[in-house]
Amino acid sequence: MFKSYRKLLSTVAIVALASVSVASAGNASRTYENGKKVIDGGMTYPTKNGMTSVYKVNTQKNYKDVKFGRPATPNEIKAWDIDVMPDGTGLPEGKGSVEEGDEIYEAKCASCHFDFGSGGAGYPALQQGNAYEAKETLKLQRLNPEDDGPQRNFGSYWPQASTAWWYIKTGMPHPAPLSLTDDETYALMAYMLAINEITIDGEELEDEYVLDREKFLKIVMPNKDGFVPVIDGKDGLENVRKFYDDAKNFGGIKKRCMKNCFDGEPKVARIQGVGISDFNPPLSAKKEKPAKKESTGGNKAKEAYDASCAVCHATDAMGAPAVGDKKAWEATLKKGLDVVKKNAIVGINGMPPKGGANLTDDEMNAIVDYMIEASK
Amino acid sequence: MNKIDKISNDELSVVTEEPASRRSFFKKTAAYSMSAFAAASVLAPVKVKAGDDPAIMEEQPWATAWGTPVTDNLYGLPSPYESNVTRRTTELLSSGNMRASIAVTPIQDITGIIVPNGLFFNRNHGGTPEIDPNKHRLMIHGLLEKSLVLTMDELKKYPNVTRIHFIECPANGGPEWRNPQFPSIQFAKGFMSCAEWTGVYLKDILKDLGLKPEARWMLAEGGDSSHMGRTVPIDKVLDDAMVVWGQNGEALRPEQGYPIRLLLPGWEGNLMVKWLARLEFASEPFYCKEETAKYTALTNKDGKAIQHFYANEVNSVISSPCPEKPWTDLKKGDTVEIEGIAWSGMGTIDGVDISFDGGKNWVEASLKGLVLPQAWTRFSYIYKYEGKPLFLSSRARDDAGYVQPSIKQERDAIGIEGVYHRNGIHTWEVTEKGEVHNVQILS
Repeated sequence: MFKSYRKLLSTVAIVALASVSVASAGNASRTYENGKKVIDGGMTYPTKNGMTSVYKVNTQKNYKDVKFGRPATPNEIKAWDIDVMPDGTGLPEGKGSVEEGDEIYEAKCASCHFDFGSGGAGYPALQQGNAYEAKETLKLQRLNPEDDGPQRNFGSYWPQASTAWWYIKTGMPHPAPLSLTDDETYALMAYMLAINEITIDGEELEDEYVLDREKFLKIVMPNKDGFVPVIDGKDGLENVRKFYDDAKNFGGIKKRCMKNCFDGEPKVARIQGVGISDFNPPLSAKKEKPAKKESTGGNKAKEAYDASCAVCHATDAMGAPAVGDKKAWEATLKKGLDVVKKNAIVGINGMPPKGGANLTDDEMNAIVDYMIEASK
Repeated sequence: MNKIDKISNDELSVVTEEPASRRSFFKKTAAYSMSAFAAASVLAPVKVKAGDDPAIMEEQPWATAWGTPVTDNLYGLPSPYESNVTRRTTELLSSGNMRASIAVTPIQDITGIIVPNGLFFNRNHGGTPEIDPNKHRLMIHGLLEKSLVLTMDELKKYPNVTRIHFIECPANGGPEWRNPQFPSIQFAKGFMSCAEWTGVYLKDILKDLGLKPEARWMLAEGGDSSHMGRTVPIDKVLDDAMVVWGQNGEALRPEQGYPIRLLLPGWEGNLMVKWLARLEFASEPFYCKEETAKYTALTNKDGKAIQHFYANEVNSVISSPCPEKPWTDLKKGDTVEIEGIAWSGMGTIDGVDISFDGGKNWVEASLKGLVLPQAWTRFSYIYKYEGKPLFLSSRARDDAGYVQPSIKQERDAIGIEGVYHRNGIHTWEVTEKGEVHNVQILS
């Protein structure tokens, strides 16, 4: 009894020593030098005695005198400042109707996001029905295999419409970002809101509804208040600090159980079947020289096709003529070979110029020849 | 290439006895300059017996002919025999297009705490751009007394610091919220890597720019086709945020943001914007696409989601054994090392426990090597293998006081629809044959 007590004491002493050594080496702290809690709920390692954690630091006073570069010109800032904020900062004037949005969507978006933004083939859905109803599904948890899950899409989940305007303008269409005009972006936004049945000022967005900057700033997304911590306003940062200071808010655990941590035998969940194992390349533990790569016979057009075009042209899922589909290519070639080649270079329907790839006109022509040859 | 490959061991001893052959002459010449061991087999040929290892008894082509000159591979490559050690992809993790997808790190094959640059996991949103560093600029503007434009040469003139930190995609382990899915550590935990980064603290650049008191948030935006942006709170900007250009002693790889990326030690990999071009300071958050549609964690609390979820919480995984490195070659009674990786975005690893019964009872493992903040930390436990089935788990804790939760604790607290920030205890089932399966303990 006495012996084990002593053993316990010595263990405690070792633990205490260990934590002292960590603290002295690291100057680890839960608060910043301004006295505020570390914002992510973790530690900071302020520089003390010329060290941060175990790293040595140059503490010469003239360190701060190092400065290079020049101020940005107003024009340069204008050229690069492309973000759009919830209060309308960065949102330009412009307008577009639901109907116009529908046309642009069919031409430039449906090839990936499918009809009415229903999504598929790995591309996100832009709506799953009425957004106000879909928002209610966010309370669902798929605890059983047959359970319905939460529907997270633009309409049901996103807190701010500005995010979508900004993203469409600067990130979409995916192969050709920054190619849409402001009016086209407004039209697409109108269409997105309409298919989600989101109202503005209580008004439903019919085909002829024209969205402009003023109306855009009145949009209240269904899930606006669905996020914690609240980051807006002058208390935003303090809200975040408080949120992560409380382990309960994000599932943090501080108790370290060593013995009999649960009752009975462990309840085990295993992979169903073979699980997900279509890995590229397949897993291998073999140490051997790779087999020589299958030669494309120096067919650069095929290599370029595989790298840049197959993503849309391997199947007809995107509405593009699939390579190998004789009928589809016969139909396409009725336009004449010159027209087909020109379309490939300047873009057609959902396809941006050169498919968004960085290729020369000659390379594009060779690829078209290859695709036609492979579809005979 | 070398005929000796094709002849049997018996023939080998005959061949080496032919004094007149040109072959033998060269071999003997070579033998004089080699070690005594090699000379013995050439000059006094021995009969190969059962139990002798052909790898020792046979002469190997690399031991009897020149290798390649130093003029080859001026930028070196791994041995071709390591061709199975690569990043890997799977369709499931692709948003329909491998230009908005992830290639994961073979952590089963990584030694120590530094991931080689060619194996560092790669997540991108619009493909990997090929940026000309001469035409790349970093612009800093917004709520500052003066804005700043830096060329890459100018940026690199700032005094640099070098730090070892992991970068982890917050969806690491995310596909397994509801069930174990991947018969592989590479896919179950390989959405992360650790490297030595060199760059400049943002606070050292900002010192001269007159940050205004109402500046609470910073937008970081990439110059690639996705123009991906993220909002960073000023606390992190003024603490340890860095703009980095060096990775394990060389320039960042294009996949890691060449020429520059943002580094926020311990935080979601997605926040560490690659191909960094613009930093803007504002009083209100920006609501970027990747902090609304993605990188928010839906909880079981009335449909509320956590936004601005910064640090990847304390986590660990046993990397040996694992499904890719099973114990099928062990014999009962062998003593073997159980090894793994622990990490915490909230601080420094304090210790790791190991369980053989799926987390019911625990023993403490040893940490080994460097133990650094927000960095991979290796742990080790020497174990006598008895050939019995095991549920082998690891549980790390950090200096912020956090301990890895059990899967049950994590699910009870947050639910199972969060996608991101899953750090529940990971368990491998080791069968009697020494095979290793990915399982989850729900007790």
